Amino acid sequence: MSAGVSGAIAEGDRLPVLSRRVSQAVINAYAEASGDFNPIHTDPDYASKGPFGRTIAHGMMTLAYASDLMSEWAGEAWLSDSAIDVAFLGPVFAGDDVTVTGVVREIVQEDAGPTTVCELTCQVGDRTVMAGSARCRIGAS
Amino acid sequence: MSAYVRYDDVDIGWTFPAEPAEFVVTDAVVDKFCTATDDRSGLYDVPRDGGVRRAPPMIAAVYLIDVLKARGGPPGGVHAKQRLAFHHALHVGDLLRTQACVTDKYVKKERRYVVAETETRNQRGEVVATGVITSIWGPDQ
Repeated sequence: MSAGVSGAIAEGDRLPVLSRRVSQAVINAYAEASGDFNPIHTDPDYASKGPFGRTIAHGMMTLAYASDLMSEWAGEAWLSDSAIDVAFLGPVFAGDDVTVTGVVREIVQEDAGPTTVCELTCQVGDRTVMAGSARCRIGAS
Repeated sequence: MSAYVRYDDVDIGWTFPAEPAEFVVTDAVVDKFCTATDDRSGLYDVPRDGGVRRAPPMIAAVYLIDVLKARGGPPGGVHAKQRLAFHHALHVGDLLRTQACVTDKYVKKERRYVVAETETRNQRGEVVATGVITSIWGPDQ
C-alpha cells in the first residue's frame, strides 16, 4: 500500500509525474465504470458531427488522474479533509498521452494542522487540458 | 415539447433530484473505477487483514452521474469546472445520498453557464463530500 510522501515537504517541491495513455477502450471502460454514456464520449458517429469532430474523454476521467496523483503522493491524507478544484481547458482524445504534474505551492498552518496546497496541471503534449489545485492535511513534519 | 430542460427554465435555488439520489459503494464499483482509471496507489486494494476496504474519493464521478442526469440538461453540454471537497473517507458498504442545488447561472462569451452545488451524506448522516459543478448548458432542443 502506498504510504504517501515521506520526509519534510517544502514549497516548490515537485510531485511525481503521472502519465496515462488514453484510448477509446479506456474511454469506454470509464463510461462503464462511471455510468456516463454520453455519446460524445462513446459514439464515434455521433461525436463526428459535434464540435470536436471525434470522441473526447470524460472530464471527470482526467480529474480522476489528478486525484490518482494525489493518492500516490499524499497517501491516506488524500482520502479525507482534502479538496480538488479544476477547470477543464481542452479536450482529451483517444490516442492522447496525458501527463499530470504538480508542485507544492503553499503550506498553510491552520487550526486543524498544516495544509499543503498543490498546483496541478494536466497536459497533452504542449496543450494544457486541465489545471487547478488540490489541498490536503499533510505538511510540515 | 422537449424532454430536456431549457436553459431559461433553470432557476437558481432549484434542487435536484427531488429526493436525494442513493448510491451504494460496492467492491464492484471500486474495482471497475480503479481499473478504468489505472489507479496504482494501492490505497483501495482489499485489505489483507479483513478490514473495511476504502474507496477512491473520485468515485464521486460515479455517484454524481445520476444526480446530473436528474438535472435533465440537453445533449451537447460541457463540463467546464469542478470542485470537490472530501470530508470523510469512503468505504465499501457505504450508502451515499446526494442532492444538488443550482446556485448561479450566467452567460459569458455567448456560452450559457449553470453552477450547482452538491452535497453527499453517508448512512450516518455525515457530509462526506461537497462539490461545485460549473457546466456549459447544451443547446435547447
